[in-house]
Amino acid sequence: MKLRTALSALALIGCLGEAMPAVAQTKPDSLGLGIFTFTSGPAAAYGMPGKNAADLMIEQINAAGGIGGVKIVPTYVDEAQGAQGVIAEYRRLSGEANNQVMIAALSSANCLALAPLAEQLQMPTVGWNCDTHQLLLDGKSKYVFRPNGNTVPEFVAYAVYLLARKPDVKTVAIINPDYAFGHDAATIFKAALKALRPDIQVVAELFPKMGSPNYQTEISRLTTARPDVVFSNLWGADLENFVRQAQPRGLFSSSQVVLALGETVLQRVPLPEGVIVGVLGDGWWMSPDAMANAQTKTFVGAYKAKYGEYPVFPSIKMANTLLYVKAAYEAAMKKNGGKWPSRAELVDAMRGSKVPTLTGTTVTRADNDGMVDQIVGVTVKSPNQSFPVIGEMVRYKGDALMPKEGQDPIGWISTLTPAFAASLPKPGSYK
Amino acid sequence: MIRTLIFALGVLALVVAPTVAPWLEFVLTIAIAKGFAALGVAILLRAGLISIGHAMFFAISAYGVAFFAGSGISDFGILLVLSVVVAGLAGAVVGAFLVRYRAIFFAMLNLAVSMVFYALFAKLYGITGGTDGMPVPVPHVFGLVLSEPAFKNVLFYGSVALMVLVGFLVHRYLDSPLGHALSAVHANEVRLEYLGVPVWAVLLVAYVLSAMLAGIGGAISAFAIGRVVPDFAFWTASGHLVLVAVFGGIGGVPGAFIGALFLELLHTKAAAYTDAWNLIVGATLIAVIMFLPKGLYGLFSRSGVSAQ
Amino acid sequence: MNAIIPLALDTLSSAALIFFAAVGLTLVFNVLRVLNVAHGSFYSIGAYVGASLCLFIVSRQLNPYLSFVALLFSAVLVAVILGPLIESTLIRWTYGKSEAVQILITFGLFLILEDVQRIVFGVQSLYEDAPMRLMGSTAIGGIVYLNYQIALIAMAVLVVIGLRLLIKHTRYGRLITAVVFDREMAQSIGIDTNRIFILAFSLGVFLAALGGALAVPTSGVAPGLGADTMVLAFAVAAIGGLGQIEGAALAALIVALARVLAIYFAPSLDAVAPYAAMLIVLLARPYGLFGSITARRI
Repeated sequence: MKLRTALSALALIGCLGEAMPAVAQTKPDSLGLGIFTFTSGPAAAYGMPGKNAADLMIEQINAAGGIGGVKIVPTYVDEAQGAQGVIAEYRRLSGEANNQVMIAALSSANCLALAPLAEQLQMPTVGWNCDTHQLLLDGKSKYVFRPNGNTVPEFVAYAVYLLARKPDVKTVAIINPDYAFGHDAATIFKAALKALRPDIQVVAELFPKMGSPNYQTEISRLTTARPDVVFSNLWGADLENFVRQAQPRGLFSSSQVVLALGETVLQRVPLPEGVIVGVLGDGWWMSPDAMANAQTKTFVGAYKAKYGEYPVFPSIKMANTLLYVKAAYEAAMKKNGGKWPSRAELVDAMRGSKVPTLTGTTVTRADNDGMVDQIVGVTVKSPNQSFPVIGEMVRYKGDALMPKEGQDPIGWISTLTPAFAASLPKPGSYK
Repeated sequence: MIRTLIFALGVLALVVAPTVAPWLEFVLTIAIAKGFAALGVAILLRAGLISIGHAMFFAISAYGVAFFAGSGISDFGILLVLSVVVAGLAGAVVGAFLVRYRAIFFAMLNLAVSMVFYALFAKLYGITGGTDGMPVPVPHVFGLVLSEPAFKNVLFYGSVALMVLVGFLVHRYLDSPLGHALSAVHANEVRLEYLGVPVWAVLLVAYVLSAMLAGIGGAISAFAIGRVVPDFAFWTASGHLVLVAVFGGIGGVPGAFIGALFLELLHTKAAAYTDAWNLIVGATLIAVIMFLPKGLYGLFSRSGVSAQ
Repeated sequence: MNAIIPLALDTLSSAALIFFAAVGLTLVFNVLRVLNVAHGSFYSIGAYVGASLCLFIVSRQLNPYLSFVALLFSAVLVAVILGPLIESTLIRWTYGKSEAVQILITFGLFLILEDVQRIVFGVQSLYEDAPMRLMGSTAIGGIVYLNYQIALIAMAVLVVIGLRLLIKHTRYGRLITAVVFDREMAQSIGIDTNRIFILAFSLGVFLAALGGALAVPTSGVAPGLGADTMVLAFAVAAIGGLGQIEGAALAALIVALARVLAIYFAPSLDAVAPYAAMLIVLLARPYGLFGSITARRI
């Protein structure tokens, strides 16, 4: 027992030998970014493309001199360790003055958990995948941004596209992962359908636990209900498992399937034609806008060469986020005459900004919410690729499907009318 | 006397630590919280009952804090007391059923009940926030509205004070007839019944006490992390509590806290160098049990005694 | 009601997988009187080895029918390597000691195996569905089912029958029964109990690894599978009565039925169902459906 007391005292003393970091005021030697994503477990199928894109984009930015002459040094945090570990890591990284911006996070659960912390610690936090509309709801955020879009326009876009393409839909079934993102999407999608076609019936709503490997019973349940449409925002290995298990059982031929995050698996599982997919934003590397952008083509080529597959939309989201941070620094430095910006100056530069990205433009409102265009289409075979690509696309404008600042999102959705939907671009109009 | 001096020095080191290394405060707060829960497990171990489900009381108390805070109660002290009481009530209900069992069945049933709670916390999205969990706002302390860093300081020093106070009370309990009855249950339960001691009541008291201790840990954790998630109740979390109790040694109250502090600090240091933390802990656990039987004398001597 | 057929088939195919996960645990307890907290890890190691072998076969473009053999072989491999090793070092040391020791030692083993799996097999999910695709599908009652799922049900039934035959009608089975009945007596008449223990433990490992491997074509494998499977196996073993093989089969059906009913009629409770079922059964019959009080020591 004495030994244990002594040992723990020694361990304590050992830990105390950490140098106190100095607060940076001039241009630092390096810009530390804390980047949160999933690098292990079922979610890594979505999270690793994000990490890969970060590696590549940071490499490219540093090769061109870094941000304002300062090189970026990333620290990656694996979100798979759970909320407690993620929060502890966030605190630890925020305590080091070298780290000036956090790029967090992938999971909506972690986004919601870290947001109050970001405000308390006054650490600029850019959510690269924080689409959940529950974030920034109170409009009072100072330090949390999300340039890559909001679940409201994302899922309303799917409802509009579906009804434009298949006007005679009568029954819908939903299978989403059991957490905020899954439940939000179901709420938004159902609300949009109800506003645009009140007679549509939702015949089944399933929320399997995230990371469940086996969907056989759920697939039986779905096919028993015989819905016209099956909507799902499953992602990562869950989506891959679901597609692999559902396809041989005929789900894709008996119903119109909408896979909100389907683009992520185009290169990995053989999706049939006619599945409605999108990119939760405009981040498709093969979109007409992307192909017309020289920087994008370079990035895509380098990504394919380095990682063996084309960048899926999580990669594009991460790359666009890094460009967003770079643009904010450059704007802030322009404003204060070339000095390295303080955190307050940085967040001021982010608010209200309009930043060109690899695939479009992201506009940040006064309540820190970001608006991007929404691309939705269906899977089609391609003569040039061994995997299906997206065809019959539509590109909805960023502000068209977005509720106003301070407005209750679900309330806004219920005010939509079929006339409004009819005024939007039609499927196939984006070439 | 020497022992008291060493403990006082230990507590002093704890109190001084965050002033030298501020980031340590979070780690130490969590360690103390886990120490409380491990102490609860250790009390039951004294009676030969091993519970691989005590994380449920940790979680119930943590969710209690989140629920009460969400419904308008904002005082730190009240939240703490209420959530510990809730954990104690849950302990009474669950324990009334479970303390009739022994050995493997006791362990398994605790695990089973804890997984029911885990599944409920994880699945009832509308009530508990599901796998996303619930936020825990910064409470008022004696009517004062504190900033987050200031509150975290209050939480840490409060936890240290609570550790000393509650630790002392538990030490008195273990030294009391009720506490000694626990070891007697472990040694020879039938004899104890013949002596007229109601074993079921003795064990139930111990179980409720252990649930409340786990509850204290859960409440502290909830405030420290700022978020409660269903993983708090997962069976591997219970396993870790047993682990800490074993590392700390059956010797007494400080053991649980020393074990928890040691493990958390080691984890924080090791995480920078290696990912194989589970392996290290598992191997150490096996090594401690196999090669340091003296340190766990009170736990494992029963098989020798009952061979008569 | 036209939902009867899908309900029945879903229950049976879920039960098959759950049975494989649990039967080894209950068997090991029956013979060795040890509750192995690391049992779920053998399931996931079997899954990883099976998935890796299948991926190897597919990537080398060998005959895809070899993948069936690969799944079976991976279970044998895991059992032959890990079974004797772990039994003779760790498990044997716990005989005669208190349950607390057993639980702690096997929990330590579980922790070690978690990291070993991460180090050896990596942290990504693995999936190879060649066996599933090769067998095709059938429409039953209007719903398309995979023939692979039906084959799994057949395999589970085979295992139940096989184990009963093994125990009642083979020499080893009778030796095991003798050892279970009275360990000291068996030793004193010259039975090599050490060998019996290694055999029984390895059989338990084999059954778990087989379950994991057979689940790969429809479910894949990812980190955390061992921990999730463990508690499910516990629940089934507890409901059936620790040590009762037929009990485990019945319990698997009950747990699967609970889960399937939940998914069809109360989807938000699907994860709660197995544990709720366990609680209800144990409230009515505290030692499980076929269990008995002899496990309690005085």
